[in-house]
Amino acid sequence: MDDTPPDHGPAPEEPATPVPSSVTSRRMLMLGAVGASSVVAIRPALAQATASILACQIPVPDPGNAGKYIASDGSLAPPSLLGPITGYGPFPPPSRPFTGDEVQKAMFQGQNLPGATSKATQAYLAYIRKLKMGQSGYTCFLSVQNPRT
Amino acid sequence: MAVPRYRAAEAALLIVEPLDIFTAVYHRPSGITHLLNEPAPQILEALDEAPLDIEALLARLAGTYDLGDADEDDTAILRVRLDELEAAGLVDRL
Amino acid sequence: MRHRIALRVGLVGFRIGSDWRAPIAALDALYRDYPRADFAHYSVRLEAASLARRWLRPAVRTMGDYHLPDAAPLALAHGLLAAEMGMNLQVALGHRRHLLLHAAVVARGDRAILMSGVSGAGKSTLALLLSQRGWRFLGDEFALIDLTTGLAHPFPRPISLKNESVALIPPDRLTGPLLSGTPKGEVRHVAPDAAAVAAMDEPARPALMIFPRFGFPLTLQGMAPTETFVRLTQASTNYVALGEAGFRALTRLRAEVPAVALDYPDGEAGVAAVESIWSAL
Repeated sequence: MDDTPPDHGPAPEEPATPVPSSVTSRRMLMLGAVGASSVVAIRPALAQATASILACQIPVPDPGNAGKYIASDGSLAPPSLLGPITGYGPFPPPSRPFTGDEVQKAMFQGQNLPGATSKATQAYLAYIRKLKMGQSGYTCFLSVQNPRT
Repeated sequence: MAVPRYRAAEAALLIVEPLDIFTAVYHRPSGITHLLNEPAPQILEALDEAPLDIEALLARLAGTYDLGDADEDDTAILRVRLDELEAAGLVDRL
Repeated sequence: MRHRIALRVGLVGFRIGSDWRAPIAALDALYRDYPRADFAHYSVRLEAASLARRWLRPAVRTMGDYHLPDAAPLALAHGLLAAEMGMNLQVALGHRRHLLLHAAVVARGDRAILMSGVSGAGKSTLALLLSQRGWRFLGDEFALIDLTTGLAHPFPRPISLKNESVALIPPDRLTGPLLSGTPKGEVRHVAPDAAAVAAMDEPARPALMIFPRFGFPLTLQGMAPTETFVRLTQASTNYVALGEAGFRALTRLRAEVPAVALDYPDGEAGVAAVESIWSAL
């Protein structure tokens, strides 16, 4: 049995009174109390944790392409009456941007996006997956995918 | 009835960074950073190799450290410490 | 949007769009010496809170990939402040390429001081004063710490000074308009000096971390590792989101860079203390 303290721990405390050399001095270790805690999780500041997903938005399509319709593969298309009639797209853009929370539920829990049929949801999600850095909604989309948020 | 044994989580799942009286541990599966105060880092170290039941762990700690006068509550206290570590995913119970 | 501008600040490109011309004109003037961005990582939109509020007591809603849902709109006269706050928010919540710390950064040569604290701790004022005493200004809001190298990359945005600190603005600097009656009181933005803007692509190695507290008797205290570690996690807006890379970058910073807590009664005393700590390194 090794009497030396682990090498990553603090330096051993020497006993206050000299001890005979035949007795090795061991560092004291407190086991603590039943009610106390020795493992504490670091909690991020509130702003970090809650603001990110809840508050972020993904406009479909991005404002630079306002008014365009969304084809079922997520690409942009000119407005067309055919889509809404057949139900297979191109779909008119949603009336407001989606929140990160809504997109996360649609992507990972199979829910439809608000106000959208399941086919329209798939089209919108396909559009969102194609977002590139610099387009509105891209950074929100990244945090949707990041399991930590 | 089998007595539970405890073992530190696989080394690959943790990043351990001693600070001073606290040790920071990053738990990769959960992404959570924990601050460990004694005796948690020492328990993790003692459970690094073979799985141990509570009595064996207590004996091992007593051999390495001065635990003060033996107390009938020591086992109960150690159980609480192990429960905390298990809840955080830092120790597995077998 | 009808009016827009693209700006580059160090490694970050912004695109700001606005329903009104005035805030874009104000940005254009304040960021006169900054490169215009080829590429926008983040976008900010200054939108009319409603169709009516575009003309009648115009109210600015600051939008972008991230926004705070319960934030009250700002008056159009404070549009520049809205744009600056919007840029801060996109970076604070969306940036993943570096470890972000709420800190002012100044440098001598290729070594930097990180001054970490919340709004009001005095870090912006200290950064401004130090920049007038030969220190290079790398930013007063966010320190961008490279996840691999640990270097601090400049993010020198205009410093926003509030209330009493507005009087500290040197006369020779380019400033934004004096904004009165904002939710933060009186605010004025001052552009970093030309040398700081010109050097925005030159990183520096953190050599000292200071945790300042303004308005207390002068006290200097070394900080123990755990306290430094915890305060750094609190100072970072993206520590959790970065996961393992954040843990490694933050523990590396803690291990390699000495940290002190500095209480100081006024700017001059603070600057003198910073200089003497630096020379004692």
